[in-house]
Amino acid sequence: MTPFAKDIDVATPPPASPGATARAPRPIEIVAALATGALLTFMLLSNSIMAAHTTPLFSSLTAHAVGSVVAGAALIGARLWRRGRGTAPPRPRGNVPLWAYLGGISGALTVMLTSSTANSALALTGTLAIGLAGQVVLALIFDCLGAMGLERRLPRRQDLLALVAIIAGTMLIIHARGMAG
Amino acid sequence: MSAMILFAFIAGMLVTLSRQLNGRLAIQTSALRSSFWNHAVGFGALAAVTLLAGSFWPEGASGAPWLAWIGGAVGVAFVGGGSWLIPRLGAAMTGGLLVAGQMLSGVAMDIARGQDAVLWMQVAGIALILGGVFLSRRR
Repeated sequence: MTPFAKDIDVATPPPASPGATARAPRPIEIVAALATGALLTFMLLSNSIMAAHTTPLFSSLTAHAVGSVVAGAALIGARLWRRGRGTAPPRPRGNVPLWAYLGGISGALTVMLTSSTANSALALTGTLAIGLAGQVVLALIFDCLGAMGLERRLPRRQDLLALVAIIAGTMLIIHARGMAG
Repeated sequence: MSAMILFAFIAGMLVTLSRQLNGRLAIQTSALRSSFWNHAVGFGALAAVTLLAGSFWPEGASGAPWLAWIGGAVGVAFVGGGSWLIPRLGAAMTGGLLVAGQMLSGVAMDIARGQDAVLWMQVAGIALILGGVFLSRRR
């Protein structure tokens, strides 16, 4: 706690409502999620071309550099646009803990790990399939705990069924590539 | 080999951890701001690794096509999208639906590029994923 903490509205993220059950996603959220997932396909294609020309490390380094510049420019653009309209720039709500800025470290570590596993006997197929398992297991734990200040929510039965169907379909598609050629 | 399985599993968990952290940052700032910090901090970490064990301009970098350079720009929208979604849907459904979108578009791209794959498995996979997305909509 800094001495200024009491001066700032400590609007900590929505309190974890104990035992809250998840709601069904809205159509706009589903469309946004599917479209965002499609961006990943495109991003991975681009990054894999760079990795093939250079190294996985350089590919990730340039992706982060380009991403920083583009996001930074977008933030400046948004600020200028707001200034033009005379609206005040948004202030962070409450104290943002330092660890909340470390998502990028986790992302950088992911690159290190997957570039070694994809070149092992696991290949890309195994890396993707096992990675998906790790992703979902931790996500379910985080949801049940309400980890890191995000809302606690217990998955509904249909959420779990939906995840099983999506994972099964994903495994089929990953192996459809692995088995051909 | 078992170390590699563990590494792949941990890599998956790190994807979720990263999204959770970025989502937390986004609810106190904004999705775009969290995407910026994700890229800037990640760049710092990777630059440190490059300093120790890599080259800032490896052979072949000059010959890479423009397509290879724009992944990071797309990544800004990807990370921002994830940060917008996770407080709304939770980590599990966000991850599941992002993977669904990735796979549906991935199959479309494979087919467009004439990539070799077993067609019936792709079709069955798409059917399962669409079924899963439909299931998530049920109350």
